[in-house]
Amino acid sequence: MERPSVHIARPPEVYDAIVVGSGIAGGWAAKELCEKGMKTLVLERGRMVEHRKDYITEHQPPWGFPNRNRLNEDMLAEHFFIQRRTGFLGEENLHFFFKDSDSRYIEEKPFTWVRGRQVGGKSLMWGRYCFRYSDLDFEANAREGVGTDWPIRYADIAPWYSYVEKFAGISGEKLGLPHLPDGEFQKPIPLNVVETELRQRIEKNYPERHLTIARAAVLTEPIGDRLPCHYCGPCWRGCSTGSYFSSQASTLPAATATGNMTLRPDSVVHSVIFDRKKGRATGVRVVDAHTKEMREYHARVVFLCGSTLGSTQVLLNSEIGRTSDELGHNLMDHHFKVGAYGQMDGYDEHYYYGNRPIGFYVPRYRNISAATKMPDFVRGYGIEGDAGRPSWGRGNDIPGFGVELKKKLHDPAPWQVWMTGFGETLPRHENHVTLDPERVDEFGVPLLRIDCSWGPNELNMRKDMASSMAEMLERCGLGNVHSYDDNKPGGIGAEPGLGIHETGTARMGRRPEVSVLNAHNQVWDAPNVFVTDGASLASSPCQNPSITFMALTARAADFAVGEMKRGNL
Amino acid sequence: MNRRDALKTIGVMLGTALTPSLAQAMEAGYVTPAAGEPLRAFTPPQSELVATLAELIIPATDTPGARAARVDAFIDGLLVDIFPYEERQRFLVGLADVDERARAATGKPFLSNAPEKRLALLSALEEESRHAPPGSQPFFPWLKELTLTGYYTSEIGASQELKYVHIAGYYDGDVPYAQVGRAYS
Repeated sequence: MERPSVHIARPPEVYDAIVVGSGIAGGWAAKELCEKGMKTLVLERGRMVEHRKDYITEHQPPWGFPNRNRLNEDMLAEHFFIQRRTGFLGEENLHFFFKDSDSRYIEEKPFTWVRGRQVGGKSLMWGRYCFRYSDLDFEANAREGVGTDWPIRYADIAPWYSYVEKFAGISGEKLGLPHLPDGEFQKPIPLNVVETELRQRIEKNYPERHLTIARAAVLTEPIGDRLPCHYCGPCWRGCSTGSYFSSQASTLPAATATGNMTLRPDSVVHSVIFDRKKGRATGVRVVDAHTKEMREYHARVVFLCGSTLGSTQVLLNSEIGRTSDELGHNLMDHHFKVGAYGQMDGYDEHYYYGNRPIGFYVPRYRNISAATKMPDFVRGYGIEGDAGRPSWGRGNDIPGFGVELKKKLHDPAPWQVWMTGFGETLPRHENHVTLDPERVDEFGVPLLRIDCSWGPNELNMRKDMASSMAEMLERCGLGNVHSYDDNKPGGIGAEPGLGIHETGTARMGRRPEVSVLNAHNQVWDAPNVFVTDGASLASSPCQNPSITFMALTARAADFAVGEMKRGNL
Repeated sequence: MNRRDALKTIGVMLGTALTPSLAQAMEAGYVTPAAGEPLRAFTPPQSELVATLAELIIPATDTPGARAARVDAFIDGLLVDIFPYEERQRFLVGLADVDERARAATGKPFLSNAPEKRLALLSALEEESRHAPPGSQPFFPWLKELTLTGYYTSEIGASQELKYVHIAGYYDGDVPYAQVGRAYS
């Protein structure tokens, strides 16, 4: 192809479909649209990361990092002042996190917006836990008169959960619980000896509570050229064997194989181009991340999959999604960093082998029945945790030094059980984002202003989370039990966003007057624009949300292509 | 089994050829400066003092200690690459203070004291840090923390003193502790 002169404006490239974002939702949109024959352009604001080749720290031992995984404090303060709040950043993975100084946002109240900055998005560093929603979740808004009713029910999405689970590869155990529906599972990764004991004690003491290994997008059986987990440990550095679901390992290769995908990294989407006369989007405006040149791409349908706040920022910077007052509103997350821990004695002769990539899960046990109804909060929480034996890191808490200290640290501590809850957050109109009227980032996109805080339901729930987990560990015979809550009202500790399960701000609903999207994730006033990532959620069930993004995306792609074939789009 | 053999075994175990870059990444361990090589933040006497203090905290026993693990080089790297300028200065002041205290107590700098005297000086420093006023940042706990991190993340600390499992291949949630015999690093 001839390289056009820089002096001549390039005509827009035309595709069947444009997908904005290449993370969990974007990768799925790319795969589904390409496999259905659509010539698809995938736009990613971050750089290219190639599967295997660019996992530059994978399988490095601790001593393989010059500063043993520590990072320069001044550099973090200048460029990663938001991302560092996660406590995740190290030499091992800094290259996968968004450089906050590149595109700022304004915190009206503390909100930690964690972003990936590459092809694959956060699918490279995600937690990999996958739990289905149930009708307890889909009916909750209507039942309680909170927010707006979900326009779908479990039956609408169940086949799509099955569809994405089989492809993504979810290992886990079936429990037969109506509020945590079983799925298409590979064999579960085992619990360890203390977790197995705890599971039995919990079942004995609490008929409505269960402990199981997390259901996770980590393979225990091969899928194509993706291999079962080899238990090296730090998944977040990337996985050359494709043993966990990422866009690189799973969806993007499938899209590439069709020959229908064009992937453009370093492409910042500015806005959706809307043809007011036709009531349709024409395409998107894109700013080249390096040259800052803006150009247009046209397509019959646009899928916004740029992460919850990324997609909403594009909508706010466009003319669409305004049939209600809800665009930008009802921002949610999971509130966490609250729970309990304790010690299980009697197992000092037991240890484990292998760096297990996941922990255990205790499904929600509050407000799931009349008997479990709570007086001062609605909805509920699930518990993530694990049992393990602390190693040398505890040395700082042991007084003394020398041979005695070295001897003590030669053996691990007794088994500790650690738990944190992930609590549902109610959709509240006042938790919202807007565009700053004056300030723009280096790509000309107005800065996002985020105004979000926990409400009374979340704060009441947190009290129960801490006390209930501590009570459970004590009743199950653990010693030295302590509860904790890292939330610092108005401060940094367990602030919204930190859960990295941010959802809402372009919710689905039954009517255009109360929502941004319909039951198929179509923007009410721009039906060839679909938003299928976390922005679309009408509530934030306590289950980890990514598998629902996958299912909604596959479902919406199927609908979109059907509508195109029927001549409606 | 050396690392190259381990790599081959892992490749066979995973049923896949390792990509060249993966193999390179695994081969390319950081090489701490050899003994006698100049450090960047410390003068030779300072690095000797740090190595000596670190060795007192984690001494050689049936496995090598902090000196052999080059904890002094690790801390030197942190001072140059990681800490803000003020932190670096604070560490160097803390180090100088160790000598000051030694002089006040014995009339000699720390390293000129006999081994048992050095031990007593460091014990006194630890004891004092336990009564440090809240908000103050005593030197000993900081030095200890850096020493533990530097030692137990080194190849010696992580894989000779403790047990390092590189690529386990499978997970077993219940093995007899005696079979492992030491903590995982």
